[in-house]
Amino acid sequence: MGAAHGRRGMTTMLSHSDAEDLLYREAALLDEGAWDEWLSLYTEDALFWMPAWRDETTPTSDPQSELSLIYYEGRRGLEDRVFRVRSDQSVASRPRPRCLHCVSNVRLVESTDSSAEAASAFTVFLHDVRADRTHHFFGRYRHTLRHEEGMWRIARKHILLLNDTIPTVVDFYSI
Amino acid sequence: MTIDPAGLIDDRPEKGVFRVNRAIFREPGIFDLEMRHIFEGGWVFLGLASQAPAPHDFFTTYAGRVPILVTRDGDGELRAFVNSCPHKGAQVAQTRAGNARLHVCPYHSWTFDSAGKNRGLKWQRAGCYAEAFDESDHGLTPLPHFDEYRGFLFGSLVAGVPTLAGHLGGAARFLDFVLGQPDEGLELVPGAVNFTYDANWKLQLENCSDAYHFTSTHPSYIKIMERRQKGEGAAALRSIWEQAPSWREEAEGVQGGSYSFDHGHVLNWGRIASADTHPLHENEEAIAARHGEAGRDWIFNMRNLTIFPNLQIAENASSQLRVIQPLGVGRTLMRTWCIAPRGESVSARRQRIRQYEDFFNPSGMATPDDTVAYESCQRGHASRVDPWLQGYARGITASRKGGNILSEAIGAAPLRSVLADSQLCDETLYHNYYREWARRMAAAA
Repeated sequence: MGAAHGRRGMTTMLSHSDAEDLLYREAALLDEGAWDEWLSLYTEDALFWMPAWRDETTPTSDPQSELSLIYYEGRRGLEDRVFRVRSDQSVASRPRPRCLHCVSNVRLVESTDSSAEAASAFTVFLHDVRADRTHHFFGRYRHTLRHEEGMWRIARKHILLLNDTIPTVVDFYSI
Repeated sequence: MTIDPAGLIDDRPEKGVFRVNRAIFREPGIFDLEMRHIFEGGWVFLGLASQAPAPHDFFTTYAGRVPILVTRDGDGELRAFVNSCPHKGAQVAQTRAGNARLHVCPYHSWTFDSAGKNRGLKWQRAGCYAEAFDESDHGLTPLPHFDEYRGFLFGSLVAGVPTLAGHLGGAARFLDFVLGQPDEGLELVPGAVNFTYDANWKLQLENCSDAYHFTSTHPSYIKIMERRQKGEGAAALRSIWEQAPSWREEAEGVQGGSYSFDHGHVLNWGRIASADTHPLHENEEAIAARHGEAGRDWIFNMRNLTIFPNLQIAENASSQLRVIQPLGVGRTLMRTWCIAPRGESVSARRQRIRQYEDFFNPSGMATPDDTVAYESCQRGHASRVDPWLQGYARGITASRKGGNILSEAIGAAPLRSVLADSQLCDETLYHNYYREWARRMAAAA
């Protein structure tokens, strides 16, 4: 398990540190607003899912019959979000708040030749420049990674937002 | 400093003048009066009967700043109480919802049944209570008024208010149309979404009724819908907006309008007609059989209904139930749900949910542009240089006393009505909010 088994021989097996690298790279691209590079981390059919909460202790688990905060089947949903941020036609998106993603507690919970699953914790510190207001979002990520076209990409990202009373806005770049 | 609320609404219909003073959004003294005389001084929406469907089911909410427990007793009757132990004040129900035959106060174990009756007072005999104490009631305090209209539950923290039917008046006709009100009833889709914004509650009150902002505030959303139509965006997410002419500036003829009802309730609407992207499309025939042709047409129109002061139901791309909960003069909590007809098909429910998330969520692509605008207005309302806002003047010469042919077709009897083309964007419906506001606040003076 872990780093010792990474890229041994002909396999492409993802190591723990490879998983960390990918998660940190995603965090940095979101913080920098490098949207095209960020999108290229995702597979065409990627699932991007941030559930809502059923009650105090249980997140929603069936996006077809329960509400999610964000749910897209396919990268094109994310492309729409990037389009909006770039459109200069969304008052909520400009000026973009300054964000810092901190990803930690990374665990490689599954790893095969072509797929892997990483669990991690996140904190996003956010400074809304317009309102001069700072807050943070925190929760847990589950990334399903797939080796495709010569690189590891995100095939599924599940974002469990623990502090879900949203101060005005939450967007794909602040979670 | 005390501010007389009466001087903050400049209402002179004979001169064609209606202005609102920015102070109503800004002054803490006004906010305190609003809490006492509006939110804690009359009917407010509490929840849906379907939130507590079985005996002993309960849910908790607020009326103004006061915590409320709504519980179905063992006989199946819904009851509403102040969720506060008569002993020391702690909340007897701790969770948003649940099922409990008994509610045990976590502080000193006073115990209440699901009908609010005191079932246990710890060590009562040993307590050396005076006779006067033993003779008094130790149950939960019921709300002075609590009633239901078609599954919508309302309560009042004060006595001496009109009946619920009297309070809803003509606006009740539009509660009849919410999602077609099927026999199976209405339900909240699991997954409540709460968000706050740093601005006054009346910004949200107004925005729900604001046809003028849509193309200005939401161009990015409109562009994304156009992208999706061209197959460039998320293809699976076709939207009702593609098929709705009412917001397009090139649309001709009557595209919508507004109705004002007694006690501050308003409806604004736009033409959509039955579109195959509408989640109710599959039930069109049943809806027509139940509500008639005219009723069916109304049900498929875009409708934003406000039951003053805290309930808003928006039916357009999807269907949202919002509860406005003011936290302070410049801070508001919005509690929002996707409201849906029980028993709809899996595919219709899915379409309803997907359209909801993109449009209504604070994590979506429309609502954040509204709430950020509210905060911008709130900062602007610091100004005393130009205290009178000019946002209440569109439609003054189009506003008519009584209803029109479209309301008569369904037997609705509004106080005033406006028929609008796509660019009129009536602002006189806000007058109705502020006339009720002034009437209620006058009691404070």
